[in-house]
Amino acid sequence: MNLDWLDAFLIFGAFKVVEIMGLGLLVHLQLGLTRVANFGVVGFWGVGLYAFGVAHLKIDWPFGDPYQFLVCAAIATIVAAAAGLVVGWLISDLDDDGTLVGTLGFATIVVILATTQQGLTGGALGLGGLGFPYDFSRVKTHEFTWLLITAAVVALIFAYAWRVHRTPHGRLLIAVGANEALARSLGKSATAARLRMMMVTSGAMGLLGAMHGVMVRSLEINSLDVSVTLAALAALILGGTARVFGAVVGVLLTVALFDIVIQFYLPIPDGWNTQALPVAREAVFGAAIVLMLIFRPQGLLGQMRRPALMRRLHGDW
Amino acid sequence: MTGEDLRPQILVRDVSKSFSGRVVVDVDELVLGDVPVEGLLGPNGAGKTTLMRLIMHSIPLDGGTVTLSRPGQRDVLLSATRTSQMAGLGVVKSTQVITDFEHLTILDSALLAVTEARYERPFAAAADRTVRKRHEEEIRHWLDYFGFDDPLAVALSGGDKKLLDIVRCLLLEPAVLLLDEPTAGLSEDHTERVKAAVRQLASRGTSVVIVEHDLDVIWDLCDEVIFMAEGKVLLKDKPATIRANPTVVESYLGAGSA
Ligand SMILES: Nc1ncnc2c1ncn2[C@@H]1O[C@H](COP(=O)(O)OP(=O)(O)O)[C@@H](O)[C@H]1O
Ligand SMILES: [Mg+2]
Repeated sequence: MNLDWLDAFLIFGAFKVVEIMGLGLLVHLQLGLTRVANFGVVGFWGVGLYAFGVAHLKIDWPFGDPYQFLVCAAIATIVAAAAGLVVGWLISDLDDDGTLVGTLGFATIVVILATTQQGLTGGALGLGGLGFPYDFSRVKTHEFTWLLITAAVVALIFAYAWRVHRTPHGRLLIAVGANEALARSLGKSATAARLRMMMVTSGAMGLLGAMHGVMVRSLEINSLDVSVTLAALAALILGGTARVFGAVVGVLLTVALFDIVIQFYLPIPDGWNTQALPVAREAVFGAAIVLMLIFRPQGLLGQMRRPALMRRLHGDW
Repeated sequence: MTGEDLRPQILVRDVSKSFSGRVVVDVDELVLGDVPVEGLLGPNGAGKTTLMRLIMHSIPLDGGTVTLSRPGQRDVLLSATRTSQMAGLGVVKSTQVITDFEHLTILDSALLAVTEARYERPFAAAADRTVRKRHEEEIRHWLDYFGFDDPLAVALSGGDKKLLDIVRCLLLEPAVLLLDEPTAGLSEDHTERVKAAVRQLASRGTSVVIVEHDLDVIWDLCDEVIFMAEGKVLLKDKPATIRANPTVVESYLGAGSA
């Protein structure tokens, strides 16, 4: 495969777009449908990243890749899903503020653990030695292939979210988010519904974390900063929390714009890329969230359109 | 009467509830369900809604027990049961305050009420239409009955939301149905339909308890009336007797309305 036309940075930019899109889609299920405001996205993603890294580097597996990757990625998913279950349970009786503090607190705990458990994680120095679960001899081919695989995983996440809207599970999540007391009176366990949703979405966040670990080939404490959460939330809020395409549109207008278009196709002075741009990016994302919440809280794509969807599903009623 | 013991009953014993130190419900003993339809009367603030919410365990009891007994089945201590398990036991309540699920359509609401938990899991394979097929007949019946001509829309008016609340309750096929002012704000035609539905349900074995300010509904529908004031059950008797009771007339019905 001749990939000379492809800049390595462009691959990373695209990877980020795909990754944040995946997280945004999962936040859509949490916030847009079930009204669980998760401000600790990076925590679930980071638990996956670190569980994957530690499992990969610290356990002597009797088999090599791709099996080692698959097993470690499964561990990452399970650990993140368990974290989702525990955090979901802890916040299950709390209001919105409690949820905010609880999820944010969880993300902080993940950072603290990753920093202090030096024997496992390498602490602030991090750990190298992760790699791609295949060998095609050229790094660029490896990265590009990984981008495609990650894109396929995110496509699956999209398909899942898309389907959730069309199943009784999605209806239950919307009902629990909209009116928990009424849902309970209809015999629905709101807590169980929320916990199941948190398990699935957190697990998928953990899987994305593991895939990130492969791409960057190392564990770095800096990757656990708030920008992951911020990017996913900003994108989703911009696009529209209640719409499946909200995350997709939002990511294209935020991460894709910054990490691909501005970074590669605008004449920006040297050095800005690494210094001014990340700061500006964060400021713009933060401002985007605030402005959207003030002027168009439902996002660019607008409200949930349940009647239109129901007409498509049950038009013959 | 032979059928008397065969109805599902709710036994309320020593149940009390205070809000910020003020006793709102204080019931020594009350059996609901020894007749098909019971009316629960009392002035505003008497504690009728609170009593129903205590039975549903949607608010915690300060003390006492609520027990459900159904013919041929073991008794269940409702006061130790989660609200979300009430519907499964057949204990269902409509809400006095207009309430609905934001965004969900009328058909959504109906489907939600009938969908079994196993279809609601994250990776449940069955599509929406599978669930619909299982329950289409009853949903169609009740939606048509109350005149919902576009179930694929969201209920907009207060009346529609009120009716939808009742439809959800009916779809749960209750053994005990608690109705908290079900006809408030409804048209005459809809009120008649609610009454007819209650009669039909009761004739098939459901025990219905109804709070209603429209007294005609009570006199029309109820086999027995409970009179509550200041959190206490003061009387329980035939409608005609309650109607003629001086206390009730004085404190609630007002002179001339009896
Ligand atoms: N959640 C609550 N907090 C405080 N006071 C309440 C609450 N719910 C009801 N009350 C009070 O309890 C009394 C009984 O209310 P309620 O049961 O709604 O009466 P009813 O349905 O008979 O009109 C009223 O005085 C009401 O203000
Ligand atoms: Mg009331």
